[in-house]
Amino acid sequence: MSAHSHVDGQLPHEPEKATLEGRNKVLGFWLFLGAEVVLFGTLFSAFLALRDKVGDGNPTADELFNLSTVAIATFILLTSSLTSVFATQAMHAGKKMAMIWWLVITVLFGLGFLGLEIYEFSEYVHEGHGFTTSAFSSSFYTLVGFHGAHVAFGVLWISIIIGQVLKKGLTVVTAPKVYVSGLYWHFIDVVWVFIFTVVYLMGKVG
Amino acid sequence: MAAVNHSATEETKKRHKHEGPQKHIVAYIMSLILTLIAFAAVIAGEVNTSFIIFILLMMAGLQVFVQMGFWMHMKDKGHTYAIIGILGGIFIAGTMIIMAEFWAWW
Repeated sequence: MSAHSHVDGQLPHEPEKATLEGRNKVLGFWLFLGAEVVLFGTLFSAFLALRDKVGDGNPTADELFNLSTVAIATFILLTSSLTSVFATQAMHAGKKMAMIWWLVITVLFGLGFLGLEIYEFSEYVHEGHGFTTSAFSSSFYTLVGFHGAHVAFGVLWISIIIGQVLKKGLTVVTAPKVYVSGLYWHFIDVVWVFIFTVVYLMGKVG
Repeated sequence: MAAVNHSATEETKKRHKHEGPQKHIVAYIMSLILTLIAFAAVIAGEVNTSFIIFILLMMAGLQVFVQMGFWMHMKDKGHTYAIIGILGGIFIAGTMIIMAEFWAWW
């Protein structure tokens, strides 16, 4: 009784919820996101506790951060979240190629964000803000770097899903993966909202 | 088609109107405006630190509400367990953050 034997090749509406497996995947992913909230919450709490502990002569948040770089990164990630939701909408409309192109654009934005973050981190290291410089620098790189690692994983994951949809088509098996990776991408954007608020903007305010 | 029917739920059986992109573009523009307000508050600065931080946290909270509601579909029905999962995470994370912010250097 495989559920993906659509004789007319017509996908059901909301194909990610068409099978029990698909619905379970979405439910399980929400519980995973709840655990991710805890993970990032602990990293944020470590950062909040240590953000003033710079030590003698080491760069402070206010000296380091360049708000225009952060604004560009924020804009890139926010826009990629919009293209990701367009991919999910194209999937719901059964438009496979439109969905793939939106996913490709999302991945490219993700790569742009990563490039900017790598550039930013290398600038900081040049300015004497290494991983072990101070408690502030360690908690900063752990929190922001963990978010960057999530972006890198998302880029890899969505790329693999694009390959699988190209190979196997848009079915009730592949659709839940597209939907769930979209949830993941939005979640990464939501975490970034707190990072630019708590780390960068509050770092500038003091 | 009989093979498909066992898996069709109430939600998939009824015809969905395919929603246009307008709603999501509105959410995008709202997120952009909230972000701009936050950056502008910091650049304008010089007023009152705790007031600016209050504005920043308000803007972040609103933006998360918009994005999780519209883009992650949490405002749609059938998301009870999603909300429980996220609220459970926020409860534990919030405890940690309050501890770190107020009690770590007691």
